[in-house]
Amino acid sequence: MIFGYILAMTAIVFLSRYLFLEPKLPIKLGVRTQKLLAYSSPAVLTAIWGPIVFMPESELMLTANNAYLWAAVLAALLAWKTKNVLLTTVISMGVFLYLNLEWFQ
Amino acid sequence: MITEPSSASRLFFKGTLAMLPLSIAVLPWGLLAGSFAIDVGLHPLEGQALSAILFAGAAQLVAMGMFKAGAGLTTMLITTFFITSRHFLYSISMRDKISPLPLRWRLTLGFLLTDELFAICGNQSKDQFQPWYALGAGLSFYLFWNIATLIGIVAGSVIPGLNQWGLEFAIAATFIAIVIPTIKNLPILCTVLSALVLSVTLEHLKVEGSLIFASIGAMLIGYLVENLRGERA
Repeated sequence: MIFGYILAMTAIVFLSRYLFLEPKLPIKLGVRTQKLLAYSSPAVLTAIWGPIVFMPESELMLTANNAYLWAAVLAALLAWKTKNVLLTTVISMGVFLYLNLEWFQ
Repeated sequence: MITEPSSASRLFFKGTLAMLPLSIAVLPWGLLAGSFAIDVGLHPLEGQALSAILFAGAAQLVAMGMFKAGAGLTTMLITTFFITSRHFLYSISMRDKISPLPLRWRLTLGFLLTDELFAICGNQSKDQFQPWYALGAGLSFYLFWNIATLIGIVAGSVIPGLNQWGLEFAIAATFIAIVIPTIKNLPILCTVLSALVLSVTLEHLKVEGSLIFASIGAMLIGYLVENLRGERA
């Protein structure tokens, strides 16, 4: 039974990933749609990281003891100055773990 | 593909390398997906199948919670649809790059089209996009995710309180690292700021499907700002 559920969910997930990659699907993306879609990457990625940083434990936390917030500010500064994804991730993650597991405990 | 074998493997490797920070960042989540499967009473094979076949982190974690709660099929499918709806946006954004490719490429890259693969390839123009590069990024990520799941299944709850470490910050850090350098003009800045405000607000109000609404809202704002500036120029 569980496998049946997994397959049914897989069908939905795969459809959502594949649907618009199918050339037979009769849609033509106009210039406006293309321009709109150019903003999809910054929009979705930010909508994913925003709640992680501002709402740890699913509650809004705009306070000075939010380790996520401090580490995110550091990550943004590092990304802006270095443009290096790996360096930014490693350093800000290290600082985050220190703040979260030691400093704010 | 017309690509030479040597340049294909080089591109595959470059893609793997570009994905590496995200592959590493996802390891704790793979571990969690594996150990949680055992926690909720799934068979190890079912736990691994979730990662191998469904291959969708957020949907997997929610699905396992629902298996545990004994939710019905309809509820699970509707929830899955909301969680996965952002992928429609990814596939439509990748349409001009992937739809001209042969079927085997489309199916493979479609299956591998996660948040992470979109983070790596979503900004690329049609000329920059390379199937072998995308395959290296997507497939290596798939392997990392599945190996981490396997370890999680085998190790079970060897690492107590893993979900309290806040390891999801790794995802935030990586996405920040990808997004910030792409802010090169006012419309993109407005997109990012409004995605931030909208996603946090909608999430706070516990709106179902907040991610997709926040994303589309932010895209529209970026597009509007671009048009307003264009008319003045």
